[in-house]
This record gives sequence, structure tokens and C-alpha cells, in this order.
Amino acid sequence: MNAIGIGALKVLAALALMLVNGVVLIYMLRKVLGHLHLRLGPTHVGWKGTLQTTMDVLKLVTKEDITPRAVDRWLFRLAPAMVFVPSLMAYAALPFSDSWRITNLDAGLLYTFTALSIVPIGVLMAGWASANKWSLLGGMRAAAQQIAYEVPLLLSVLPIVMLVGSANLGTIVEAQQGTLFGVLPRWFILNPLFWPTFLIFVVASLVESNQTPFDMSEAESELVSGFSTEYSSMKFGLLYLSEFSNGFIISALGVTLFFGGWTLPWLPAPVVSALGPLIFMIKTYIGIFVMMWIRGTYPRVRIDQVMQLGWQRLIPISLVWIVFSGIVIKVWS
Amino acid sequence: MLPATADIKRLLAAIDGATVAEEALGVIARVPLAAVNEALGAIKAAGYESLVDFDGIDTGELIELTYRLRSFSLDLEVHVKSTVAYGGTIESVWYEYPSALMPERETAELLGIHLAGHPNPKRLLTTDGVEPLLRKDVAIRTVEEVKAR
Amino acid sequence: MNGGSEETLATGVLGEGRHDPGTPPAGLRRAPAGVDGLTTEHLIINMGPQHPSTHGVLRVLVEVDGEEVVAAEVSVGYLHRGIEKLAEYRRYDAVGTLLDRGDYISGMMAELAFALATEQLMDVEVPRKAHWLRSLASEINRITSHLIWYGTFGLDAGGMGQFLYGMRDREALLDILEALSGSRMMFNYIRPGGVLADMPTGLDAKIRAFLGTFDQYLDEHDQLLGGNEIFQARVKGVGVIDRSTALAFGLTGSNLRGAGVDFDVRKARPYAAYPELDFEVPLGTNGDAWDRYNVRMAEMRQSARMIGQLIDGMPEGPHMAKVPRIIRPRAGEVYASVESTRGETGIHLVSDGTEHPYRMHYRGPSLFAAQALEEILPGHLIADVVVIIGSTDVMLGEIDR
Repeated sequence: MNAIGIGALKVLAALALMLVNGVVLIYMLRKVLGHLHLRLGPTHVGWKGTLQTTMDVLKLVTKEDITPRAVDRWLFRLAPAMVFVPSLMAYAALPFSDSWRITNLDAGLLYTFTALSIVPIGVLMAGWASANKWSLLGGMRAAAQQIAYEVPLLLSVLPIVMLVGSANLGTIVEAQQGTLFGVLPRWFILNPLFWPTFLIFVVASLVESNQTPFDMSEAESELVSGFSTEYSSMKFGLLYLSEFSNGFIISALGVTLFFGGWTLPWLPAPVVSALGPLIFMIKTYIGIFVMMWIRGTYPRVRIDQVMQLGWQRLIPISLVWIVFSGIVIKVWS
Repeated sequence: MLPATADIKRLLAAIDGATVAEEALGVIARVPLAAVNEALGAIKAAGYESLVDFDGIDTGELIELTYRLRSFSLDLEVHVKSTVAYGGTIESVWYEYPSALMPERETAELLGIHLAGHPNPKRLLTTDGVEPLLRKDVAIRTVEEVKAR
Repeated sequence: MNGGSEETLATGVLGEGRHDPGTPPAGLRRAPAGVDGLTTEHLIINMGPQHPSTHGVLRVLVEVDGEEVVAAEVSVGYLHRGIEKLAEYRRYDAVGTLLDRGDYISGMMAELAFALATEQLMDVEVPRKAHWLRSLASEINRITSHLIWYGTFGLDAGGMGQFLYGMRDREALLDILEALSGSRMMFNYIRPGGVLADMPTGLDAKIRAFLGTFDQYLDEHDQLLGGNEIFQARVKGVGVIDRSTALAFGLTGSNLRGAGVDFDVRKARPYAAYPELDFEVPLGTNGDAWDRYNVRMAEMRQSARMIGQLIDGMPEGPHMAKVPRIIRPRAGEVYASVESTRGETGIHLVSDGTEHPYRMHYRGPSLFAAQALEEILPGHLIADVVVIIGSTDVMLGEIDR
């Protein structure tokens, strides 16, 4: 098979992963939130409500696609794609195991951040094109938030890149193989040098992927539904799906950078190699569960507080930490 | 708690035609419509810092306005009453008591009177063309009429 | 984008004051334009009546500079049902049905105010047990209402967790109210002369069982929402209603006590069984949303305490005085007020001696809280607007009546 065919298959695989993930994650969200809120979540369609989201997707697909008269038609149609496609692109560099990955990019970390940073442009487009004041505010918030948090997100992970000496996600995972003192895994999360890094990464990535308590651009209690207010049918579906997909990517990045990716130190190498994608998915889903837990419990931060946190706290702290960890790494080695 | 009638009388001494009496409702000062703002100003200066309630009653001949004032520091309450003809104009007291802003709009709209000096004299509760509902000449269907329908 | 045609609200008798609904009223506070001298074109946003966080059908027109509110106008009336007019066509025992639909989350309070007003004109000795049952019903209803406020206030701040925890406890209380009055929301339980029905056997045990867990649950609620750093950052120093503003705008209830004014109708003008009960009136200091939150949480504790006392000391005897089947109070004009969940609910009743009230004015405390919003909102962010509306606990049923 030629290279183009293989490439197309890989894109299809990523798309399938994204769609299936979306359906599973929405079901998981409803169940997790339900049980956090003394409810049961969906119970009727399928076994324990498992088919509920499938039915919801079918409903979304068959719904009438409403385009309000005042919208900027081309931007309005383009925006869901601008949100969806970068989210799909971000799957390309994720290492599901030592052999399961779409491409092996040397700048995989940067590539993933770049892809994710296109999403808010789509959100801004959606907000502007909707000709709705709430949407506009949501879009503007997304843009402001994006500019404020792209920097600390990238700066926060630089110490890891400095230690590993590569921005290739696969190499970063391989650097975390093996154990410390024979028991503890050599994951970066267990290295005290990366604890501040991890905290900044968690906050900045929650903002980047627009999750509670930083879901500024959606903020249903303030901005009605933010940038997606005027969207209906599958256009809304795409916006909604990419939100879950971004959550997945951010969680996967966190697993790759701090929790050893597909590796598990106590198992023999061939088993880990065979089960790699499964281990990776389980770790990622645990990360997503934590995100849902936060979503079910925390109130929303105010926009000026988010901005203040980003510009006045996270950027200086991450800059200081880069210098400090650079010195430590140099002295250590 | 009720203030002494004499105290309120003393406050309103400068106003022609003001009478003060104690009734079932409490201590009531009746003042002419033109002097309402002056009377409320005098009473407010005596420490009655809050207008708790304002409403109008269609007595069949004219509209009776009731201002319920309270002093939280002295723990006293006094009512000021005045009357206005149908379709007449009342002077807003919002400058003395901002809490009258919405009750005045509501009373004006539901009893068919005009507001002067109000910063936002729009309708409050009903839409254009609704008759002044609380007037006695505006009838609604009674229970019996609805049942017989 | 804001050029659309909005219908003018002012015509008819109020025509001379024709006023563009887009611009907030002159004379009220406007925040100084622009932050740090930066001004941008202002945007007028129509918040409500279908906005998710305006608690029903409140409509607030906010003029914003970026996200900062410059001026606000509160527009109400989307739920007007003419309760005051309808009451002039109902017999005295049926007016409660209308008043339930005023403040529909805590209907007992307005019923009680109406009953107190009518009794002043009736020469009737209300039995002691009726007083106690009235207080019991009021306090249970106050907790149910505060629990709704607690849940929705958290929703306004963006948290979802606390809402159904509040609903869980409210559900238990609604079952109790149902056993007591026969209805979960629209009670018509407190009538002139007493209460509709005696307490059913076994209900006191049920209430005790509820009180046994409620204090612990209340701590849990307080930790879940009030203990959250993000929530505290959202409410502390936000929506400050100081003492003079609160008095000038006629605020009552928790909004007034949050500003530190010690006025509770239950203490200042005791009615029903309150003179015999031992309870405290929680007070705030700054009058910000955080104070109002704490005052209401403390009020729930006090209400639970009172319910315990009411159950323990429930007297024996009839629950209803001898009142004629068709009540015809003597002619006269009276005012009765009670401390409802949202403040002082007052009934101004004018009787002409017939079986229908001549005029009944229903003072809804939320109306005064809603008009104070025009003064408080300027200078805050849009995100604060919903938090402030939530913190004042406005109830559209009693604003529009």
C-alpha cells in the first residue's frame, strides 16, 4: 500500500477513536456526574443506559440544522470545522505505545500544543459569526484565555524537555521506564523537581481545554451557552465532541509527560509492549475521571481572576522554575 | 411600634391641612397631595430612613395613597396617606426614598395615575393597553361567571 | 448588533414619561466609564427573561463596557397574574390559594400574613396550638426555600455539586409539609382563625428523624459550597449592599441583616409562637454576597432549632377557632407583616364588611431587592451579575404578583 493510503487509514483511525471516545466520554460524564449528584444518570436505553449517547448522536444528526438569519454564514459554517479539525490533528503525535502512534514527530510536544492552540480561533469565529452578544462574549473570553494560558502551558513543561533532551513524546515516555529503588515507578510525577511543573500544567491545561472551573467561553450560568448558543444539530455536535476530544488529549498529554505513558514498571517488557495502548487508555481515563470530578464539584472562576492567575502568577512562577530546574539538571548531570 | 401622635404632629406642623390620628392601621398622617414630598422629607429627617411599602386604594371616588415608613434605629412605624383624583398626577418621592421607584410605577399603572419627577416612569407589570386593573370600575369575571361559562 | 427593534414598554397612562428601554434610568448610579481611562463602545445586553440564571423570568438590561457593567435596568412583570385584583373577588378563606402562587417557594408566609391581617378585623381568639402549627409550617417552609436558594446560588456561581444535595433535604421536608397540609407547594394551610388541619399522628417522629441528620447535612452543604476557595473568591466583596443603601431601597430579611441591621419581624413584632421560642438572629457585617450567604446558612440552623422546640412543646387543643363558614370581617384597614424567607412580607388589607376583601396589597420583599439591583450592579462583571442576583434571592412570583 502506498504512503497516502496508509496516511488516510491513520487519519480514519484517529477519527474513529475520536468519535467513539466522544460517545463513551459523554456517557461516562453523565454517569459520573449523576453519581456525584446523588442521581443515577441514564438508565433506560440499553444496559444501564449505555446506548443513551448513541441515541443522542442519532438525534443530533437527524435534527434540523438551524442557521439564524443574522449570522455571518461562511464563518458560521466554518467555525465547527475550525474547532473540530485541530482537535483531530492533535491525535497525530500521541504515543499510544512504542509502536502504536500515527507519526513519530521529534517536536511532538510542540505540535500537540500548536494543534490545540488553533481551537480557540474556531471558538472566536463561532462567537463572532453567531451575531449573538452572549456568543461574542464567549468567543472573546476564549481568545483572551488562550493568549494568557498558552505561555504558561508551554513554559511549564520545558523542564521535562530539558531533562529528557527531546520534545518527542515517545522519548519522554521511554525516559520514564524502569523503577526507583525497585518499587516506585520512575514517572516524572514522583520527581519533586516536577511537582510545581505538574501543578502549573494541570491548571493551564484545564484552561486550555476549557474545562470547569475555567469553562469561561461556555459558562452556561453566565453566558447562556457561550459560543455554541446559536448552533444546533450536528454543528453543535461537532463543537461538543471536540470539547471532549480536547479533554482526552490534555489528559493523554498529562499521562505521557508525568505518568509514564504506556509503561507500567512492574510488568515484564513484552507484556507492557503488548498491553501498551490499554495501559495508556486506562491512565488517560483516570485523568478524565478526575476532570469530571472537578466539574461536578467546583464553581466557576471569574474571568478577571483567571486572567490574573495566568499573567501574574503562573507565567512568573514557570519562568523562575525553568531557571531553577535548569540549574538543578545541569548540576545533577 | 407606634410613635406618639404628638411627635408626628410636631414634625408636620409646617404643613397646612395635615392631620395625625391613631387608627387600626397605626399612626396615620394625612397630608394634601401637594405636600407629600415635604411631609416625607420632614419625617425622614426625624430618622424614618426606610419606606417599607407604598400602595394605592381605589376608594370609589378617588385614589388613596399609603406610604409606610419605618425607622429601624427608633423601631417606629408611621403611615402617611394622601389622595389623588383618577387620572391625576403624583409627585415621585424617589429622591427621599429610592425604594418607592418600582412601587410608584406599579401603583401608577394599576390605578391609572400619572407620575411626575420619576426617573423611569414606564409600565412595570403589564403591557401596553391593559386597563388600570386595580380600579373598581375595571371588572373581571367572577367565580360564578367563569363557572357559568 | 444592538440595533434591533425592542418594543417600548411605556404608553397609555404613563405615556408622558416615554423612555427608551435600552438606556437605564437617569438618576440611578452609573459606574464611571472605562477602566483606567480605556473606553470602548458600550454594548447593551438583554439578560433574561429566558436566561438560565435569572431565577425565573427576571429581565435585566445591562450596559457593559467590555465585561464590566456600566448601568443596569431591572424589568419585571413577565409573571403578573393580578393576584391583588383576583383577591377582591375571592372569599377570605380562598385568598390563601392566590397568595401561595405569589412566593411559590415559601407559600406559608404570605398565607400567614393574610391570616394575621384578617384576624385583626375578626374578634377571634386563635388557639394556642394553631399559633404553634403556624410557626412550625413557616419554619419548615423557610428551610425548604433556603435550600432551593442554596442550590441555585451555587449553580449561579457555576458549581453543580450542591444543587441536588440541597434538593435531597428539601424533598424530605416537602414530604413533611405534604403530611401536614396535604400539598407540597400550594398549601392554603394557614387560614383566618387557625390552620386547616391538625398534625397527623407520627409526623413528629418523622420531623425528629429529619432534624437528627439535618445539622450534619448542613455542615456538609456549608463545606461543599462555602468551604470552596473558588466560591469564596467569587462572593467575597461582591455585591456590597451597605447599611444606608439597604435602608434606602427598603430591603428586608436576610439582605438587610447581611448589612448588619438587626431587624427580624419575628423578634421585633412577634407573632404566632415566636415570642415563646428561643432563637437568634444571625447578622452580617459588610453586606456582601458572602455575608448574605452566611446569614442564610445560619438562618437554616436557627429554623431547625426552632422546629425542634416547636415539636417538643406542641400544645394540646383545637387547631382552629370557631369562625363562620363565610368570613365577614368588620370594615377597616389593617396591615400585617411576617418575616418570610426573603424578607418582610406584608399584607395591607382593606375590608368593607363583605365576604370579599375590598383591597388587598401584597408587599413582596423581592420587589425591593430587585430594584436595589439597579444600584448595586454597576461596576461589577457580567459573571458577578448572576451571583448578585442569586445572593439577593429574588423570587419573581412575588415581584410580579
